[in-house]
Amino acid sequence: MSEHSAPALKSADDPAFMLPASLAALRLPLCVGGLFVMLLGWWLASGVGSDDLSEVEAAHIGANFGMSVYLTAAVYCMTIVLGSLFFVLIQHLVRAGWSIVVRRIAELVMVMVIPMGILFIPIIGSLWMGDGTLYRWDNAQYAAEHGFPEAVWTEKIRWLNQEWFTARTVGYFAVWTMLALFFFKNSVRQDQTGEKAITDKMQYWSGPAVMLFAATTTFAAFDWVMSLAPMWFSTMFGVYLFAGSILGAHCLLAVASYVLQKTGAMRDEVTVEHYHDLGKLIFGFVFFWTYISFSQYLLIWYGNIPEETEWFYVRQVGTWGGVALALIFFHWMLPFVGTMSRHVRRKPGLVCAWGAYLLVMHYVDVYFMIMPSVEEGSAGGLVGVIASILCVVGMASLLTGLVLGLAQQNKVVAVRDPRLGESIAFENI
Amino acid sequence: MSLAIPNGLDNSVEQPGERAPLVLGDTTYHDITEAVCQVAERKPSTSWVIGFLVSFALLQWLGICILYLIYTGVGVWGNQSPVFWGWPIVNFVFWVGIGHAGTLISAILFLFRQEWRTSINRAAEAMTIFAVACAGTFPGIHVGRAWLAFWLAPYPSLNLWMWPQFRSPLLWDVFAVSTYGTVSLLFWYMGMVPDLATFRDRSTNKWRRMAYGLLSLGWSGSSRHWMRYEKAYALLAAFAAPLVLSVHTIVSFDFAVSQVPGWHTTIFPPYFVAGAIFSGFAMVLTLMIPARKMLGLEKLITIRHLDNMCKIILATGSIVGLAYGTEFFIAWYGQVQEEKFAFTNRAFGPYWWAYWTMVTCNVISPQLFWFKKLRTTPWIIVLICIFVNIGMWFERFVIVVTSLSRDYLPSAWSYFTPTWVDFSMLIGSFGLFFTLFLLFCRLMPVINMAETKATLAKQYHMTEHGDQ
Amino acid sequence: MSEKKEKTVHGVIAEYTSVDTLMAACRRVRDAGYEKTDAFTPFPVHGIDKALGIKPTILPWIVLGAGLTGTATAMAMQIWMNAIDYPYIISGKPFISLPAFMPVAFELTVLFSSFGAFFGMWALNGLPKFSNPVFTDPRFDRVTDDRFFLYIDSKDEQFQRADVEKILGDTETDYVQTVVEDESSDKVPKPFFMMWGLVAGLSIIPLLVVLKMRVSHSSQPRFHVFYDMDFSPAKEAQQYSTLFRDGRAMRPDVAGTVARGEMQADVDFMTGIDMSALTAIDQPRAERLVRRFNPLYQSDAPPAQEAKSEAGTQAGKSDDGDGPQDAKVDVADEDASENKPVQPAAEPSAAEPSAAEPSAAEPSAAEPSAAEPSAAEPSDGEPSDGEPSIMDTTPWLDKNPLVLDEKTLANGRKNFGIYCSVCHGMSGYGNGLVNERARKIVAQTWVQPSSLHQDTLYADKYPDGKLFSTISNGVRKMAGYSGQIKTRDRWAIVAYVRALQLSQNASIDQIDEAQREGILKEQADAKKVLKEKAAAEAAKTKAAEAAKDAA
Repeated sequence: MSEHSAPALKSADDPAFMLPASLAALRLPLCVGGLFVMLLGWWLASGVGSDDLSEVEAAHIGANFGMSVYLTAAVYCMTIVLGSLFFVLIQHLVRAGWSIVVRRIAELVMVMVIPMGILFIPIIGSLWMGDGTLYRWDNAQYAAEHGFPEAVWTEKIRWLNQEWFTARTVGYFAVWTMLALFFFKNSVRQDQTGEKAITDKMQYWSGPAVMLFAATTTFAAFDWVMSLAPMWFSTMFGVYLFAGSILGAHCLLAVASYVLQKTGAMRDEVTVEHYHDLGKLIFGFVFFWTYISFSQYLLIWYGNIPEETEWFYVRQVGTWGGVALALIFFHWMLPFVGTMSRHVRRKPGLVCAWGAYLLVMHYVDVYFMIMPSVEEGSAGGLVGVIASILCVVGMASLLTGLVLGLAQQNKVVAVRDPRLGESIAFENI
Repeated sequence: MSLAIPNGLDNSVEQPGERAPLVLGDTTYHDITEAVCQVAERKPSTSWVIGFLVSFALLQWLGICILYLIYTGVGVWGNQSPVFWGWPIVNFVFWVGIGHAGTLISAILFLFRQEWRTSINRAAEAMTIFAVACAGTFPGIHVGRAWLAFWLAPYPSLNLWMWPQFRSPLLWDVFAVSTYGTVSLLFWYMGMVPDLATFRDRSTNKWRRMAYGLLSLGWSGSSRHWMRYEKAYALLAAFAAPLVLSVHTIVSFDFAVSQVPGWHTTIFPPYFVAGAIFSGFAMVLTLMIPARKMLGLEKLITIRHLDNMCKIILATGSIVGLAYGTEFFIAWYGQVQEEKFAFTNRAFGPYWWAYWTMVTCNVISPQLFWFKKLRTTPWIIVLICIFVNIGMWFERFVIVVTSLSRDYLPSAWSYFTPTWVDFSMLIGSFGLFFTLFLLFCRLMPVINMAETKATLAKQYHMTEHGDQ
Repeated sequence: MSEKKEKTVHGVIAEYTSVDTLMAACRRVRDAGYEKTDAFTPFPVHGIDKALGIKPTILPWIVLGAGLTGTATAMAMQIWMNAIDYPYIISGKPFISLPAFMPVAFELTVLFSSFGAFFGMWALNGLPKFSNPVFTDPRFDRVTDDRFFLYIDSKDEQFQRADVEKILGDTETDYVQTVVEDESSDKVPKPFFMMWGLVAGLSIIPLLVVLKMRVSHSSQPRFHVFYDMDFSPAKEAQQYSTLFRDGRAMRPDVAGTVARGEMQADVDFMTGIDMSALTAIDQPRAERLVRRFNPLYQSDAPPAQEAKSEAGTQAGKSDDGDGPQDAKVDVADEDASENKPVQPAAEPSAAEPSAAEPSAAEPSAAEPSAAEPSAAEPSDGEPSDGEPSIMDTTPWLDKNPLVLDEKTLANGRKNFGIYCSVCHGMSGYGNGLVNERARKIVAQTWVQPSSLHQDTLYADKYPDGKLFSTISNGVRKMAGYSGQIKTRDRWAIVAYVRALQLSQNASIDQIDEAQREGILKEQADAKKVLKEKAAAEAAKTKAAEAAKDAA
């Protein structure tokens, strides 16, 4: 029982629901600067190569490293976009009330699958232009060089070949674009009309949408990331990538809400209760990520079969072993302890800080998944790391700029959602 | 807005922005008390007595079979080289899985503030405990010398001078299942204390009052007590939620840390958990639908509750289906000969009938729940849920038996054949389960009255402020 | 009300019918400054803690402490039990396998935290507490049904009964009542004690029985509630079985079969006898030997009868008591192969103990003279009654059939160390540990093992083939080792024994120049160590004597 009476809703045109001008002004600089920084990072990364290699080999390693850095950035951004899409779908599926005030942010982010589709063109391009530039299975000599049995490889390349891979990637993007546009357009239309039927419609379709989403992300994870080590396999890999993705989406929501509130939007709508909930979910998904990655590791470690251990083997020696330990301590233990307390979760600034921190750690996680599969197996030294950071910061900025642009044309809160009142009034026990 | 629903007892339709009521009719707090307490206070109905006698007879039969097993040895089962994990382990995993829905409803749905859980959580939690009791029986008697099962505990033995082997998943299982049983019991009992106090305060008989008085620990309903109680309840829920994940995860480790083809696959932990929830919800529905009818609780366990549970069954069933597909895909994609064989053998080998029973019951039958009509028709729900339970039993059968019967040594391959003892024990375990459940219905509050009243209070509150 | 006035007043209580009226009353009472107040409700009412000014609970801290204890307990327990107190390797995992310890650590964390939450909550609430003054009011029974109560305790600083009754009366209530001491008897009914006594008494009985069993002795066999596989139908070695006609539980090889890997065509290698030479002098014996090692061998003229007669004479000879033991051993070998018995015990005969035993491993069991210590007589092959010795009648191989390289010698050394050195000593002087022990305890039946360093055992008098045969079939008290040591390894031992013999008689000149220095140095070092040891020993003895003197 609440002591509060039901809150008064502001009108749909209230400035609290608009993107603040200070943020809107950042659109263009973010887009242009982001694009530039991203390309700079990519270019820097492509120059990485060992001195003791011949020029041709160095060029190959460089191209491979550059593409891997680019793929890392793209997968990182993609996981967050997909996490946001899943967030929206699941809120509709369970008819959630609390989340209405922050749902629009996720909706804006999920539309970024369209620019992401364009940003994926170089990755597909590397298959058609090069020869094993990014994905080693694309190299005709790969199997012979590594002594894989002929019979195994002929079966393998039925799945891993450039035509079919391209078709699948296009298919994934088609499905996600369809889902994102459907839910975004309907939600925006409700801003105008306030029809309750739209909510019903979105709820109705959220069930099949979640299923499509689950099937496509599982296979996208297999294709984009797992096939970097063509002979390696783990049935759980899709769930592993998804665990990081959903965590990233919640962190982004916390950060974005905080920034929007600081700059003047939705000050009365998003309350400490919503941060509390986001904090709880972040805590929960940190745990979930740990659970999934630990289970995957434990099973492979315990089974100790060469077919499977190769992936973890390169990741637990040398520098990568250090990164693995860093993930244990800083992706699990530190945020786990840090977000455990109710007092932390009820301080918006702290929730935002943990969200930002975890967004960085999520990048380390993605980096750990992708970069050790570079042929050299190295992080490319200091230049390589700087290039990777530039590339991802650039891509994220570019997308942020696009999100801001989209937000400016629309509202930052689903202003006429029938459950908005419930969301604003909602209180944790 | 009034609480009266135009179409009678159907609250499965919800207008966006307004929450459909979870307690139906012009129900008052006192009505809830009456409705729940009469179940335990009135004389047992004939159907209850018959049900109890049948269950109790089956329980005795289970006991006789266990004595026979202990006296004769595990050879009375069909377990034979190379399938040494036959039905006992199948039944164990099946029952542990059944238990998971109870904890999910009471803990995870609580954490997600799903208020519709309130009228079903008590019975579901009870089901968890009884299912864990059934589950615990099987590995206990499967160890061969059941009277030495206590060797599993890490106690300083003066005879053995050694310790259990903590690097074995089977020992993790001992810890997981016993922790699960203990925490579920605490959670269940703690949730019941305020309701036992209601029983105490309503009882007219001195002995009954004394018994419930002892059980309710002197509960007075003080606000200070309630505050700490709710905190403790939330904390227990927060522990029970990851616990329930861990239990079936660890059960899946029993299989997945080995190198047996078809067992060693990383998807097992989440896939087992989803399967457990799936089967558990099916069992909850199988029990609750007849129970709500017989005990007259239709206003409290409404169509909306059934509808929601059907949706969860649909979701988890589809996850399980996706996991089946992923396993098959990776078996092919991985191009490891043994794995490929294991999966081809599952679907097209000598146990093809078990595999396709499993797929039909687990993946195809819940897809019927896409139709709202089927989600809201009780007898169809029960039918589908029974199919799901059969399918989930077969899932464990497929995992255990098909993989073991075709192990690395082709000369040892054989076809597993259960004996009458196997069948008796499976049926007998249902006897144990239903005996405990029926006793629970008679002696304990089957619905969480306090929480349901809190839901009703919220409903009143919303009604007052409902006209935005 | 009037009759209750004398009783202790604990406070005043008022009844409400809805949450809203209760909440309003709570706020009013709080605003009036009352602090020792409490509300009683049938379900948790949110916001009432604010309305009453109740402070948050410390329960989460208790739970955190319990949880950390759980993690620490689990980790300490697993590391102690599996890595320190009882370490052993399993499936190639380290003793401290952190990933494998995680599940139990997690479970115990949850278990302890849950105990913390459950028991902590009851403890903080002061429950169980079965007697409570508010329970005296019969209307209070509906607090667990549909009524709400507000209570102001008399311990409150502001408590004035009239004021309190007034302020509560002003709220939306129609029932205000004082709460008085619960005067009902606090005596536990007698039947409870009786029951308790009975149960306690009965439960002691099994304990006493167990206790008595543990401290007393009994000549009865113990109870077998559970058989625990104590009565296995499996037979042990040498046991009787009714299952077979010969009554033996141990089964010989089926006639005409050879166990996998035991087929050996090279009889020279197997026996240490030059077969072609033997065929020339004693064809039947040669054939018997061949058949022993190759049951599939078909000879042109089956020599069974002849062989039997010879076996008879030979066995009879051994019965004389002083027959050459080696001959006996050899005969046993051949007898074993002789009849190809499907039922070897078909004609059991005390006179032919060796014929009844297909195994040649224990020929000396029937040898009475073996009991006599013969340490003084190192050579065992000498005939004592003028009959030609088996030594002379057998053309022993005088060259080791193995290629003598470092590997062979190393192998010989290894096997010598395992099988021979326990009696013969590492250097072959017949002073192995078993012998030392036997001497120490003055074992009556002990036969001093031969020193291998004596003329009669050198290669010129005791050919390699003979040495091999002795190892294989035994001599005097020494059992044959053909069952334990593979043929090739036995030959390797022969080679090593020869090397040992050489080592005791070699001069430094026989060694490569390059190695001499090292060996001399080693020798010097060893001598030094021995000297030091001797000195230390002497000092010790001296000290002991001194101590004795002092005492």
